[in-house]
Amino acid sequence: MKAAEPVPPYLAPGRDLRLDFFRGLALWFIYLDHIPTNIVSWLTVRNYGFSDATEIFVFISGYTAVIAYARMMLREGWFRAAARIYRRVWQLYVAHILLFVAFTAQIAWVSLSRDTHSLIEEMQLLGLGQNPYRAILEAAMLKFRPVNLDVLPLYIVLLATFPFVLPLVVRWPKSVIAGSVVLYAAVCHFDWNLPGYPDPKVWFFNPLAWQVVFHLGAAMAVLAPQLVWFDRWRWPISIAAGLFLCFAGFIALSWQYNWLERLVPELLARQIYPIDKTNVDVLRLVHFVAIAWFVRLLVPKDAPFLKWRILEPVRRCGEHSLQVFCVGTFLALSAQVVDSFFEDSVVAQVIVSIAGIAVMCGIAYGARWFRQEARPGALA
Amino acid sequence: MKLRNLLLASFGFVAFSTTTALAERPECRARRELLDLGNPLAITRAAVAEQHQLRIVAMGSSSTQGYGATNPMFSYPAQLKMNLSAALPGVEVHVFNKGIGGQDAEEESARMQQDVKPEKAQLVIWQVGTNSAIRRYPLDKFADRLRAGIDIGRSIGAEFVFMNLQYVPAIVALPDEEEYARVMSDVAKEKKTGLFRRFEIMRSWYDDGMPYAQFVTNDGLHLNDFGQKCIGKLLSHSILNAIRPAQFIDESKAKN
Repeated sequence: MKAAEPVPPYLAPGRDLRLDFFRGLALWFIYLDHIPTNIVSWLTVRNYGFSDATEIFVFISGYTAVIAYARMMLREGWFRAAARIYRRVWQLYVAHILLFVAFTAQIAWVSLSRDTHSLIEEMQLLGLGQNPYRAILEAAMLKFRPVNLDVLPLYIVLLATFPFVLPLVVRWPKSVIAGSVVLYAAVCHFDWNLPGYPDPKVWFFNPLAWQVVFHLGAAMAVLAPQLVWFDRWRWPISIAAGLFLCFAGFIALSWQYNWLERLVPELLARQIYPIDKTNVDVLRLVHFVAIAWFVRLLVPKDAPFLKWRILEPVRRCGEHSLQVFCVGTFLALSAQVVDSFFEDSVVAQVIVSIAGIAVMCGIAYGARWFRQEARPGALA
Repeated sequence: MKLRNLLLASFGFVAFSTTTALAERPECRARRELLDLGNPLAITRAAVAEQHQLRIVAMGSSSTQGYGATNPMFSYPAQLKMNLSAALPGVEVHVFNKGIGGQDAEEESARMQQDVKPEKAQLVIWQVGTNSAIRRYPLDKFADRLRAGIDIGRSIGAEFVFMNLQYVPAIVALPDEEEYARVMSDVAKEKKTGLFRRFEIMRSWYDDGMPYAQFVTNDGLHLNDFGQKCIGKLLSHSILNAIRPAQFIDESKAKN
């Protein structure tokens, strides 16, 4: 790297508030979208285009992984950094197992308080009924992930391979992007996936495909200063990206309004559908990259709104993403139960949405308080 | 300043979308003639009346597996079991889910023996056609596989109800999806098996003004919670109509 070049993000001092803010926002969106019938989920990105909060979360996770471990690797060596990454993987694993237990316990509790028959039914369908010992083994192996418990296992797999990507991405970020894209293309073409449980099931978020979002994020933490190279075509790129976002918005809205849907030519529809989530359809990927391009242009690192007090809860959630994510997944199930109790009334939907986000924020502030306790004066 | 205007505009738009979404409440329904399976289910009827036990195999692909539903409880086979158990008190209803994503007539007819025989099923719901249409599997081979699958199932004592393709953007966009539905209808007539017209039922939802977002996940291919639950409910009505027509037809929420 030439000396004249500005510092890449992973060497830059200070915290990038954009990461906290957008990760917090993604966590709120994931919570809202995980409640099956929820009017408030109209506020989330997935209704206005192809990609959704998952891409934001995975991309930022890749970006922050480099920020968190690259400097450590340069200062204290690869071994030390790898050990720290595996400690983090272990924390994620513990969190996932705890979430799994709490989540299934909640289902059991709800079913028990209704009647025992539906309990057996539901546990059976989740894969716990016929052979619970096997199911627990498969859960420990991350192969068995009932409803909505798919994101953390994806993150665990991505982070577990990260020690081997880290030295490469710091030195040759472009090669990492190239390799990652090649793997992604191969996975889409040959339909590779990791095995799930019960048998014919595979991973809902295919790590072999979703790694492309994660590694794109990781590479950006190294490459960001070099993106100015693209600024000579700022207008053409922005126009292309803007047109693509409009196109995606049009298609997404056509799912809501049949008169719009009838305007979509059949030939075009044949090209775009299905927009696969398991293997991150290329339309989802391009849509996310277009959004990221505009975020880069419109939201500089020192954008004043990032420091607004009113948005602080979002940032706090982003800072403590693991705790907030787990609580959000657990609460989305509770919200579903409450909603169905009130027969999906709109008022109930709005109330559980707000209440859930309030609890997530409470957890984030609590986690911050504990951290300050542990390290007095560590947080400015 | 510009950013604020942009934010205001998007907020207004979201508010507008929300209110329009609020205005409509979806209802799960289909015209009575669409729920007619076309052939009586004699074995199923006998199983219910005489053995007080009904064993159903749900054979199919991702729709059957329940991909797209947020909870396996919402998949149409689980809903079928729930609805039939409620409607047939005193009858033990089992539904065995044999859905494997991505498969179709070729793979499914090949595993018909091994998947149906051990369950001692009297009725097989065969959800098929979608992936053949996507893969452009030749129509004549498609018909042959359907016939072969039925012959195997019958040789081990089961009768059939076909469930045809789903009416969703990814399928509607195909040049010849209706050909696959037609072949299924022809084979059903020829082999005197039941046919659950999922394609026509879902098309009637769309034509009645129900947006895709109501019943399809945003991949444009799979049924969501509402779609799965509603198909499960309507399929239950169809089966109940076929096994005790006079009594049940008024109870169904069929609209006409």
